[in-house]
Amino acid sequence: MFGKLSSALDIALQQAVEQAKDANFFEAGTTGRGVYPFINLFEKEGDLVLAAELPGVKKEELILEVREDVLRLAGARKIEYAENCSCHRLERKGLNFDRSIKLPFRIEGGKIQAEFNDGLLMVTLPRAESDKPKQVVIK
Amino acid sequence: MTENKGVAKTEAQELQKQEHKEERTVAGRFFIPQTDIIENEESLIITMDLPGVKKEDVNIKLEKNILEVEGRIDYAPYEKLNPVYAEYNIGNYARRFTVSNAVDTSNIEAVLTDGVLSMTLRKAPEAKPRQIPVK
Repeated sequence: MFGKLSSALDIALQQAVEQAKDANFFEAGTTGRGVYPFINLFEKEGDLVLAAELPGVKKEELILEVREDVLRLAGARKIEYAENCSCHRLERKGLNFDRSIKLPFRIEGGKIQAEFNDGLLMVTLPRAESDKPKQVVIK
Repeated sequence: MTENKGVAKTEAQELQKQEHKEERTVAGRFFIPQTDIIENEESLIITMDLPGVKKEDVNIKLEKNILEVEGRIDYAPYEKLNPVYAEYNIGNYARRFTVSNAVDTSNIEAVLTDGVLSMTLRKAPEAKPRQIPVK
């Protein structure tokens, strides 16, 4: 009887820990385990700067598209090891990703600058001229 | 980056290390990088995600069977930026591993490409599997 109870407790505890990990409750890593890739958005002088951590992704395999106010980030992260080896710990995940992000305003497509160094993507997204607020002179 | 550089430390550094053994006096947070550890017949391979860390900012130390990896990020690109929406934290990386005697500590290789650090720890000759022929 106690065996059943303790195994139920074990499961409940395990689930609670997994949920906390998903939400990055312990803040041990940089992020939780949600949508991929994780992005940070910054504002700089009225323009947007997007940062994304993509370690192990090759520059050639990364697709970055902007249409009006939607940014698409797609690619693949491959993790391959030789077959005749044993794994002690596998925390990194290889996956295909395709994520679209709705931005708060339209982007000037021709002026986007993207840099991808050391697994860190930084994209400068200037606000479209047509989308900027216009000051009306009151006569 | 070879391990020799990290192992051959000056005495001053040794003293500093003793003073604050566990605490770090560096601005910014440290996070635990995601790591894979795999083993084949000749070696142990530790692969670690360190996005945003440059080659010269990775510090790998091996001391008394503790392998310590530290990766510092450059905060300069984030200056003058106001956060609007955040999904991940920005910070340095640090992680420690206890290495068994079965590893040849004088022969550790580390390579950093696209934000992924890969360390190869060769097994000591006596720790390699040996087939014993039956007569």
